[in-house]
Amino acid sequence: MERFGGAGVIRMAAVVILSAAAVRGQTPALPDAPGSDTVTRVCGACHPATIVLGHGMTREGWGQVVASMITRGAKGSAADFEAVTNYLAKNLPANAPGGAGGARHSLSAGPGDRQVVDRQSAARGKTIYTSECASCHGPLGRGANGPDLVRSVVVLHDHYGDTLGPYLMQRHPGAAGTAMASLTQKQIQDISHFLHQQVEDTLRSGPYTQVLNVMTGNAQAGAAYFNGAGGCARCHSGTGDLAGIASRYDAPTLQQRLLFPRTVALGAEGVAAPKPVTVKVTYENGEPISGTLVHIDDFNIALRDAAGNYHAWNRTPQLKIERHDPYAAHNELLDRITDQDIHNLVAYLETLK
Amino acid sequence: MKLCSLLWIAIAGCMLKAQSLDPKKLMEPSVDTWPTYNGDYSGRRFSTLSKINAQNIQSLSLAWVYRTSSATGSLGNIVKSTPLVVGGVLYFSIPDQVFAIDARSGQEIWHFHWASKGGWHLGNRGVGMYGNWLYFETPDCQLVSLNSQDGTERWHKQICDLDQFYTATVAPVVIGNRVIVGVSGDDLDIPGYLESRDPETGDVQWHWSSVPKPGEPGSETWPNAEAMAHGGGMTWVPSTYDPELKLLYLGTGNPQPVIAGKGRKGDNLFTESIVALHIESGKLAWYFQPSPHDTHDWDAVETPVLFDGKIDGRPRKLLAQASRNGYFFVLDRTDGTHLVTSEFVKTNWAKGVNAKGQPIPNPAKEPQVDGALVTPNQGGATNWPPPSYSPATGLFYVNASRAFSEYYIFDDSEKPEGWSGNDRGGGGQSMLQALDYKTGKIRWSHQWEGGGVRSGVLTTAGNLLFTGDSSSNFVALNPATGEALWHANLGAAVSNGAISYELDGMQYVVVGAGDALFGFVMRGRS
Repeated sequence: MERFGGAGVIRMAAVVILSAAAVRGQTPALPDAPGSDTVTRVCGACHPATIVLGHGMTREGWGQVVASMITRGAKGSAADFEAVTNYLAKNLPANAPGGAGGARHSLSAGPGDRQVVDRQSAARGKTIYTSECASCHGPLGRGANGPDLVRSVVVLHDHYGDTLGPYLMQRHPGAAGTAMASLTQKQIQDISHFLHQQVEDTLRSGPYTQVLNVMTGNAQAGAAYFNGAGGCARCHSGTGDLAGIASRYDAPTLQQRLLFPRTVALGAEGVAAPKPVTVKVTYENGEPISGTLVHIDDFNIALRDAAGNYHAWNRTPQLKIERHDPYAAHNELLDRITDQDIHNLVAYLETLK
Repeated sequence: MKLCSLLWIAIAGCMLKAQSLDPKKLMEPSVDTWPTYNGDYSGRRFSTLSKINAQNIQSLSLAWVYRTSSATGSLGNIVKSTPLVVGGVLYFSIPDQVFAIDARSGQEIWHFHWASKGGWHLGNRGVGMYGNWLYFETPDCQLVSLNSQDGTERWHKQICDLDQFYTATVAPVVIGNRVIVGVSGDDLDIPGYLESRDPETGDVQWHWSSVPKPGEPGSETWPNAEAMAHGGGMTWVPSTYDPELKLLYLGTGNPQPVIAGKGRKGDNLFTESIVALHIESGKLAWYFQPSPHDTHDWDAVETPVLFDGKIDGRPRKLLAQASRNGYFFVLDRTDGTHLVTSEFVKTNWAKGVNAKGQPIPNPAKEPQVDGALVTPNQGGATNWPPPSYSPATGLFYVNASRAFSEYYIFDDSEKPEGWSGNDRGGGGQSMLQALDYKTGKIRWSHQWEGGGVRSGVLTTAGNLLFTGDSSSNFVALNPATGEALWHANLGAAVSNGAISYELDGMQYVVVGAGDALFGFVMRGRS
């Protein structure tokens, strides 16, 4: 790998600092704020919780991350996941200072010391890029007649212009005698920031994390499904519990909630927590005890009763358990609802302003 | 063979040291050793030990606990690696860290820390061993060789480019005088590859690319040279190996861009494929692709498990994979002949199975701008945690999950790159599936009380199956029926595949859960 010039020295210094911290066993800490202990406990059960550092997202974006982690086995209560999402949204917001995604650290994708995009510089770089480069490399650097620059090893190896500059001056085809050969060091840095911004935008944690449009269904057909084959009307009513639902949730959130009502942390802060599973437990011929399911596995069960008391049992043959999942009908729907039914239902629910 | 004899002589020098690994151990059933990621090259994870058995399992006792956090000072270092056991010493890893602990007592012997320059720190699957030397990969793309006696570094070699967002997690597999290394990373669109490296120098012996070059076989399954060159196919789960056929078996990862596949029309070979490579040359012998043109991140990296058996009355050298896409495949591993395809959980993404035994993707279930409801979800019907095959029962065991997701395209531009989409879903249901390899049918299914299980499986000649559930229990099941026989809650989910070994006449079972390793032992006569 080629490294030279002032920026290379800075990079080396950064590596030394990072390495020194690593040798002492120190990793960057989560911002000290309400909920950080919950993040450490819930997220840290599977990976270092600090892996979130350097990523900036909207609340919706973090909500998706949390929801996706639940499907991957994250354990916690509904309140825990709400707290985690709130913490992440507040402390690691989108567009944090330091550029797209903010400053990275060494537990995340790519080099720990990778270029931190300066947005103002990138904006200046965009102007230069658009006039000098875009005709061959495309408006976002993803290639046209010329190569894709987001996938370019020259760009990916570049650090504040240290590789890009010499390349543009000497090795870029047709460089001699053209405008690019006379770019100043500052202009090269600006282009470098613009190109690295395109790379950041392409990464998994970049801005392409938003659902574009789910309003592709037919509201009338959705109403028919709601009242007919879907069986929704058995529990819900457009003029009762669901009246005004479309003003409480946007369409993508509605789509997710009708399929996965137990998935918390999506949508706006403070929405209703999902309804718990309830259980009735009877030991031999004793009095049944009912309450909210706290824990169940092959060997143990625990519930909290209406008075707030915690009860637990070993699961022996003498123990009888009756379970009620208020979302059983939603779960059952997953195996028979079609994509068209889903989009029609969303279109119908969107009429319930 | 001359080269081979020279190798034996070279290694004989190291044999004098008690803790070095005699390569012959890799060809024998493990007793006092667990010398490679899967215990042996077959990937069966079947232990021939039986001092711990279905009759006495209730007397299994906790011998020791080793917490990585007490050595590293930081939490969240989940043990996803399978430890090696050689000469009474247990070697295992987490990202950037390798530990040697006493396999009898859990006492730390040494601990090595690699000063990281970056990369995803999500997990590390373990170390490989050759003579007196250990090998492990780091998130910042290095292959590091350590002296197994004291944990001092011998050398490190770059195996991938961190600037291109590669990272490395896989456990190297040592085969003869070869260290097989793989790579990870799918943040940007980069090609996957597998390499054979020299155990003495770390130099490349051969390099196999998961994606072809224009004009090569497989290139017809890509629209153009650029899509191919950036087509993914990471190699992040250890390979298996047949010493008689001299073939190495590898499952490759998802194509890239991961979710948005419009720029890579075609089957995208050799991503999401089971490939057989000639060990001497790294050349492709045959392939079978479980997920043509995948758009759901369903890496087909799951261990290709090797065993011999009869199908339709004919003895066969078999290879079986329970793939992340929900399908179970059985092939003849001599030439890749397809024998069995079945679903091991119910899926909804395929229109059927073609004449070659591959599921036919339903285009309507590819990610859509307005969403497509798909099962399995991105986490998959199973994932990297190792399955097991027991020759005692003739059954293949896999910890499986069933969950749905909406798969969305987030970037509908002409040239999506990176991921450009994702899934969003809900919870699911996990279960241990016991599959009859002759038919692919489920013999029994043990449903867990929850979803998201990520625990490997070990079977033993003691008529036991060890695995983890979705509630942090380490569980022993009857492999013939699925009945739970024993459990211990470890306070964190079982995060690797358990191993077993016998020392001083006592059988141990060791398992990782969260940031700790737990050693269980059967003491006294049995």
